[in-house]
Amino acid sequence: MITVLSHNIISPLGSTTEDNFRSVLRQQTAVRQWHGRFGPVGDFCASLFDDGSGATDGPAGLSRLERLALRSIRAALKGTDVDTASDRTLLVLSTTKGNVEWLADGIHPLERALPDSSARMIATALGVTTAPIVVDNACVSGLAALTTAWRLLMMGRYDRAIVCGVEVQSKFIISGFQSLKAVSPLPCRPFDIDRMGLNLGEAAATIVLGRGDDKEHGWKIVDGCQRNDAYHLSAPSKTGLGARMALTQAVGDYPADDIAFISPHGTATLFNDQMESVAIAGAGLGKVPVAGLKGYYGHTMGACGVMETALSMCAVDNGIVPSTMGFAELGVSGRITVAANAAPTSRKGFVKMLSGFGGCNAAMLLSSNKNAADRATADCHEDGPLQAKHNVHITESTVCIDGKVMPTHAVGRQMLTEIYKGVVGDYPRFYKMDLLSRLGFVATELLLRAEGGVRFVERSDRAVVLVGHSGSVLADMNYLSSISDADDYFPSPERFVYTLPNIVTGEIAIRNKYHGETGFYLLADRNDAFVDDILRSAFCDRGTNSVVGGWIECGSETAFEADLSIFERKADGGGRPAATK
Amino acid sequence: MEELMEELKREIISVLNLEEMTPADIDDDAPLFGQGLGLDSIDALELIVLMEKKYGIRLASASEGKDIFKSIRTMAEYVSKNRKK
Repeated sequence: MITVLSHNIISPLGSTTEDNFRSVLRQQTAVRQWHGRFGPVGDFCASLFDDGSGATDGPAGLSRLERLALRSIRAALKGTDVDTASDRTLLVLSTTKGNVEWLADGIHPLERALPDSSARMIATALGVTTAPIVVDNACVSGLAALTTAWRLLMMGRYDRAIVCGVEVQSKFIISGFQSLKAVSPLPCRPFDIDRMGLNLGEAAATIVLGRGDDKEHGWKIVDGCQRNDAYHLSAPSKTGLGARMALTQAVGDYPADDIAFISPHGTATLFNDQMESVAIAGAGLGKVPVAGLKGYYGHTMGACGVMETALSMCAVDNGIVPSTMGFAELGVSGRITVAANAAPTSRKGFVKMLSGFGGCNAAMLLSSNKNAADRATADCHEDGPLQAKHNVHITESTVCIDGKVMPTHAVGRQMLTEIYKGVVGDYPRFYKMDLLSRLGFVATELLLRAEGGVRFVERSDRAVVLVGHSGSVLADMNYLSSISDADDYFPSPERFVYTLPNIVTGEIAIRNKYHGETGFYLLADRNDAFVDDILRSAFCDRGTNSVVGGWIECGSETAFEADLSIFERKADGGGRPAATK
Repeated sequence: MEELMEELKREIISVLNLEEMTPADIDDDAPLFGQGLGLDSIDALELIVLMEKKYGIRLASASEGKDIFKSIRTMAEYVSKNRKK
């Protein structure tokens, strides 16, 4: 049994979950107009900390994002039994852009702009001795982080997991969303007929999870699920396919009349809210209240999954369905019940949904009903290396398929183009991809050719799980060059999209029509046992029978590596992941 | 107009990374989106950036670009009438 031990939210609306809930109940919003805060970005509406940080304490050398995360984690740990120094305690950080405002700023080394560096700084400050994981899975990162922590606890690897979601805003992020024409000039209006887009926001939130036998006590994650639209990198599926699949599996047989509300992603972009309405109605949950929080906080990206989950737990504890700030008249086609006003509830469960670039969708059902059964896959606990069915290993100058060298002439980027031309040739999207996506694309093409069989058949039982260190740093630099000169400031939407490392998993999903889970994780360095655990954890989703994934690192044009494999669930293992002892 | 259409083709190939293509591969009247070149909604946003950066034309939304970005010819006609640089 995995339960929630504690939680905290630090936002411009307050420094505890309870403070934040009271502010929401009073209809206070943190979204307001900002003038010239980020130079050429101009005027915009967002939820930002007034003092620019939200946290000033903590050791020297920490970024404002790291101080903010640290403050939230310390508040959440207070009063718990968590021994941060124990080798049974895990730290999972959910962020999309980390310290990107430090990227190539002439002051900080490149390494300090990588999200993994933030995780290590936070871990050190807390005295955490195990290697932290960063989940960098676009806007679903928060739920993906909670799901990963939940699974690793179930697998018996740890006893306690600290999951922190954090995001701060910068010229980089706001200009990017502006270039995608996704930002509303006014406070956002989720699901409303007059909605014009999203507002961005800053926050940190922490949820501490623990293993225990206490079935009577508190909140538990009943199930968490992620599915991909395999449709488009930035636009959600028109049918809401991925979100509906994730939602349907997360809810499962949990009684709908014990679901207090659905906390949607509800960003207030035209397409997101429309898609979610179709997905919720399609899942048969059109009568369950939909209570969106973006009107209070804006879109806090890597923080929102953890923050909105914590706030929803507090709302249910207080017997309240929160109101959807900014909503007045339904402006979506799916027949859903948006909570315009706060209302009392005696129900004990709720669903959190998220959707993000790269086509990913996530849903999680949590409940404080003591009768709720935790759907933990109990037999996810085997040890030993995973056994790959096929493997492809690519570096900047070598290609190996199932241990056999494939001769190539070119090196680096040109080598990937050479393989594309020689082996694929008919997928011109390849040329639009950044180097990380090209690397992942070419590696999976070779891998799937080695596997043989019929390709391009829609399937939702195969996950794509990638683990690396540098993530999207090359794409980040490429986008930065379109905004760094104030006299030549033209933010490029095509370049911005690739600044999310999980886009490569979206490219692979679109190419292969894979609707299964997709995820991108960042570690300090390549640690095969740890990578294996992350890959193995994907099999805890009972809908996943196969995983394509492994290590992918693309921190430079001239030195990169992809070591990807196909893993299958053991046919006779009673639901066990492929593994050897 | 011919010169402008040629220039637009070169610019589009460059900003949209249509490697392997030459201006001769793009038909003046073929649709840019859906069929034809098969561009998508992110490409449309990138074309909006191109219009502003190269010609000083500001388009508020992708839907405004719908009629303008039908083909190279419609783009060139719009640019020649509205360009500020």
